[in-house]
Amino acid sequence: MATPERGASSQAPAKSLGGLLDRPEWLGPLMIGPAVLFIVLVVGIPFLLALYYSVSDISMGDRTMRFVGLKNFIAVAGTSNFQTSIVNTFVFAIVSQILVIVFGTALALALLREFRGKWFIRFLLLLPWVAPISLGTIGWLWIFDSTYSVLNWALEALGLITPQGWYMWLGIPYLAMGSVIAVHVWRILPLATVILLAGLSSIPQDIHDAALVDGAGYWRHLTQITVPLIRPIMLVAGLFGLVFAFTDMIVIFVLTRGGPYDTTQVLSTLAFFTGIQGGDIAEGAAIALFLFPMLLAVAIGFLRVARRAEVV
Amino acid sequence: MAETKKRKGGVSRRQFMKAAGTAAAATSIGANIIIPGRSGAASKKLRILQWVHFVPPYDVWFNKKFAVEWGKKNDTEVTVDNIGVAGINARAAAEVSAQRGHDLFLFNWPPPTFEEQTVDLKDVYAELEGKVGKPIDLGVKSTYNPKTKKYFAFSPSFTPDPVNYRQDLFGKVGMPNGPKTWDDVRKAGARLKKEFNNPIGIGLANEIDTGMAMRTIMYAFGAHEQDANGNLTLNSKNTLETLKFVKALYQEAMTAEVFTWDAASNNRAMIAGKISLALNAISITRTAEKDNPQISKLIQLTKALQGPTRAIGLEHVMQCYVVWKFAQNIDGAKKFLVDYTTSFRDAFVAGEFYDFPCFPKTVPDLTKLISNDPKAHPPDKYKVLDDVLNWATNVGYPGYSTAAIDELFGTWVLNVMFAKTASGKSTPEDALKEADTAAKRIFAKWKQKGLI
Repeated sequence: MATPERGASSQAPAKSLGGLLDRPEWLGPLMIGPAVLFIVLVVGIPFLLALYYSVSDISMGDRTMRFVGLKNFIAVAGTSNFQTSIVNTFVFAIVSQILVIVFGTALALALLREFRGKWFIRFLLLLPWVAPISLGTIGWLWIFDSTYSVLNWALEALGLITPQGWYMWLGIPYLAMGSVIAVHVWRILPLATVILLAGLSSIPQDIHDAALVDGAGYWRHLTQITVPLIRPIMLVAGLFGLVFAFTDMIVIFVLTRGGPYDTTQVLSTLAFFTGIQGGDIAEGAAIALFLFPMLLAVAIGFLRVARRAEVV
Repeated sequence: MAETKKRKGGVSRRQFMKAAGTAAAATSIGANIIIPGRSGAASKKLRILQWVHFVPPYDVWFNKKFAVEWGKKNDTEVTVDNIGVAGINARAAAEVSAQRGHDLFLFNWPPPTFEEQTVDLKDVYAELEGKVGKPIDLGVKSTYNPKTKKYFAFSPSFTPDPVNYRQDLFGKVGMPNGPKTWDDVRKAGARLKKEFNNPIGIGLANEIDTGMAMRTIMYAFGAHEQDANGNLTLNSKNTLETLKFVKALYQEAMTAEVFTWDAASNNRAMIAGKISLALNAISITRTAEKDNPQISKLIQLTKALQGPTRAIGLEHVMQCYVVWKFAQNIDGAKKFLVDYTTSFRDAFVAGEFYDFPCFPKTVPDLTKLISNDPKAHPPDKYKVLDDVLNWATNVGYPGYSTAAIDELFGTWVLNVMFAKTASGKSTPEDALKEADTAAKRIFAKWKQKGLI
């Protein structure tokens, strides 16, 4: 009874906004429209603008843009701090993502089981993701502080270091890189865990039961059943994390500003220092966009593999 | 029919959309409904953006007293927005990009890269020169571009960058009145680190204080980024000597903590009693007076230290106002600057001597004021700054603070050069070569843009 009425209603010319809203072919685009508009406004336009900036000679004070081709890319590519930043970016992104996937999978597997206080653990796990990142990172700044480091204080209280033997977490290159990676992992881990948890939950229980009946041990179960089945979602989590690690600057900006002596300088922070602090927006944009083609290729590759795995 | 479209106990799709639309509209205009416009209060408006001052009472005086009273006198509604120091450049870039924003915008360093967006303020300088005399060289060199002959900014004041030292500790190594030369710092520092576990604390990190401190040592050693005419002169024997000195100073008298620092770290370390000397504004002593009076009594100040070439110190903060070309009230902004500078004595007192005048005659009793401060231990602690106008200089000395100098500073080229040398990651020669290559590229770029 209702179906013919709705059909008739959708065929009739829409004479009012209310009529339009009742038609699925209008309502769908209308509902998704704000999201598309949002992405176009806050991602699309700034991205296109950045592309144009990178091939222009725009500076902080001079808004008249002249096209200079790839001059900015060529100019920055030859500088030593850019080359250092490229290496640092890859180290930072790849190491942090490996850790995120390993820890994320372990946490997701643990959270899949039923135990007392599970909701509280989930709540704690999500905190780094829901808290403002700048606030969280400032907290870490205090943890690593050269004068008031809670970490050093704890190590000293446990008798593991002397008052003279405090670690300068952000002052020694390998410790500084380790620290920024640790904080980045802390930040991204909740998202990866939730994504992986969703993937694990979607595996039908009868597959696990069948493996159990067939006598598969823990590692065999994990490597030959669980991981292959969640590989598509694992790749999506990895892709998100990788792109995030390649493009985000908050953790490094707050903790080290690229120091000590540029050993944690990454492309995103270098772009900020060059474009905003140094006033050369064109070169800053060129630095920021340098890895875009590679990231695009990585994203396409990841999604293809994920899709293929999904089909299989 | 209507029943079929309505969920049980809920709302129909149409009702939901109507309600959502109404809510959105109400939200967007809500502020105007709830808060009546104040446009009727004054015929003109002046919007000022300032960074949050390091001395909170200054903001209270500026925002709630001076700006309000000025507004009443000039039939102008004055709005003051305060933002954190870290956001200044990004905010300025956003205003320039949007071509709208505040009428007066305060930087805490010279902003030559914004020159083409700012109004020439030579008439403000001229009017003030007629009223209160000439500005100091530091003020002019931080706001004037000799190439374009334009005052791209206006500087009413600057913050000195004296040497803060622990009198008790330096007394134990035979320098009760503090070091007088850079060599003193090296010699005393080595003993203070070894015997008292209290190293020297001069930053070697990617932050402002390091940039200032390294330039202070360079200039004292006769090394410079540029000459008086703006030609690049970084690659010199004197720079090499400075690098070798800083390396020795680090190895003998400092620890790796200086590589970790941000702009507030030396304050914290000094007040915590962990270091024996730092180059900083008087924020260290002012904070200590409030938070740790005991250590405040131990921290004293001394003037610029003598190097092989001269005794010289940098400004720590350069208060630089710009008036955007797209400002709505350019005349009001200029008048505000003139009036503010003319009554700078009040600002000097409100800021607890943090900001010193670029027009010396605006605070005629400066020496008397700083010689008897009830908060200081002893009351004449700050008297050491009475001749700071003579020894404080600008970034880029002996030239002007140009766009190239600004980028060199903002991208930490010299900070990294010194840190690499001190840590042993690079030899002084290699670090200098790398920095010089970067500096050449930066200078060539801004020359091509016509700003230097």
